[in-house]
Amino acid sequence: MQPYELSLAAAAREIGARRLSPVDLVESVLDRIERVEPGLGAYAEVTAERAREGAREAEREIARSGPRGPLHGVPVALKDLIDVAGLATGAGSLVREGHRADADATVTARLAAAGAVLVGKTHTHEFAYGLVTPRTRNAWDRERIAGGSSGGSAAAVAAGAAPFTLGTDTGGSIRVPAALNGVVGLKPTYGLIPRHGVTPLSWSLDHVGPLTRTAEDAALVLAALAGHDPRDPASLDVPAPDHRPHPDDDLTGLRVGVPRTYYFDRVTEPVESAVRRAVGHLAELGATLVPVDIPLTRYIRATHWGLMVPEATAYHEAALRSAPERYGEDVRVLLEAGALMSATDHLRAQRARTLMRQEWARLWEQVDVIAAPAVPMTAVPAGQESVEWPDGTTESVPDAYVRLSAPANITGAPALSLPVGHDPAGLPIGMQLLARPLGEHTLLRVAQAHERTHPVRTLAPAAG
Amino acid sequence: MPTDDLTPPEAARQAARAGVPLPADRHAAVAATAEHIRSVVAVLRELDLADTPPAAAYRAVPDHGTEVA
Repeated sequence: MQPYELSLAAAAREIGARRLSPVDLVESVLDRIERVEPGLGAYAEVTAERAREGAREAEREIARSGPRGPLHGVPVALKDLIDVAGLATGAGSLVREGHRADADATVTARLAAAGAVLVGKTHTHEFAYGLVTPRTRNAWDRERIAGGSSGGSAAAVAAGAAPFTLGTDTGGSIRVPAALNGVVGLKPTYGLIPRHGVTPLSWSLDHVGPLTRTAEDAALVLAALAGHDPRDPASLDVPAPDHRPHPDDDLTGLRVGVPRTYYFDRVTEPVESAVRRAVGHLAELGATLVPVDIPLTRYIRATHWGLMVPEATAYHEAALRSAPERYGEDVRVLLEAGALMSATDHLRAQRARTLMRQEWARLWEQVDVIAAPAVPMTAVPAGQESVEWPDGTTESVPDAYVRLSAPANITGAPALSLPVGHDPAGLPIGMQLLARPLGEHTLLRVAQAHERTHPVRTLAPAAG
Repeated sequence: MPTDDLTPPEAARQAARAGVPLPADRHAAVAATAEHIRSVVAVLRELDLADTPPAAAYRAVPDHGTEVA
């Protein structure tokens, strides 16, 4: 096994036992990047020299006094919406040409404090306003989309071009590409990980979170990133919950909600079968399956759009006036059209969110987690714009990929995509697990129990 | 909001009033997209929101058992 193939937890164990040097790990990942990037296109920028220097520093410090923690000496890549002092935050846009970040984002600084080594910035759909990430290809099939908007972050982890990455999620932008590339993507509770220094799409829906090869790894990254920062007005000032990996696979007493409505509607057969099989595994581990009805489903898309569209336009308003031609057409037209939404439209969506949050709070009295598909279908071929369902409806590809993600953005509940199998074409399938706000410990406990007892390959084969 | 489909000139006028002036070749595309967005969010008018406050500065976690706006 080459060092680049190691999960974060496995790399940390090897580094801690002095069997692996951060220098060798970083060199192995940089080699892998060089090999896969021509076909993959995950990276906007590779910071090779900075990474080598960081690895040498980590090696010296670990030799002297041991690792600071599990991230020490481990390479990481950041979605190109996250500020790193001295580097461009390109946001996948010509609008940001010549940009240089003055300071680190909170998450960048926390990763540095934990000793992680930055290897580069990963591609995003322009300003995170899309589900494709056109510069990046799917790690399992180069003819198919990586998904988005954190497409580069997901493809890099799946291809072995980074042990872990960070992404952002406004309507599934961590969970969708994680599912399409067969890796773990965690959107934490709204406000748990500070967003200071991260380019916003929609302030009231944006989250930052990790993409990893295992749920165990996601727990390790979350532990390093969670915690209050007053510079993000949504940041939660709560005692640090326990985000360490959970050692026990017994799920006895845990109530797993299985949606009777919404989440299994208009889902392809391979996705439904794989997720229902995975739900069955949770029952075998002792969990009690509880059928649940998802509230207010008719209003999910409307609420999501009613919040996101005007907030995105508000952020981009000045650049829309000064340099509109620098945006890609798909993003520009959405931003321009968003200017026509009224304040009462936005407030109506905010009031609908209050109702949704109240109804979901009642749901969380019945169950501890909800298990559902992450996305309705596996990765579509590049260029496919819509999908037809057996009920006769046609849906745009972005609408389909956002559909099952949006509830967790609206309610702020933590949600994670976990690889649970592959379709007949060999494309990865993700199960989504949701928990009540600040229920990350339970969420990660269930995900880890599943991945330990029913492991799925998360490193894409023949990615070179 | 108009109940009939938005015309390109009306879209241009509304965008200009909102501070985002549009070149003429953008009017039709923006009108079509804005009309689509309107049709999606319009279903929220069906909700009986009564005294429901907005979740503006939104918090996922209840504060002292109350709904936090």
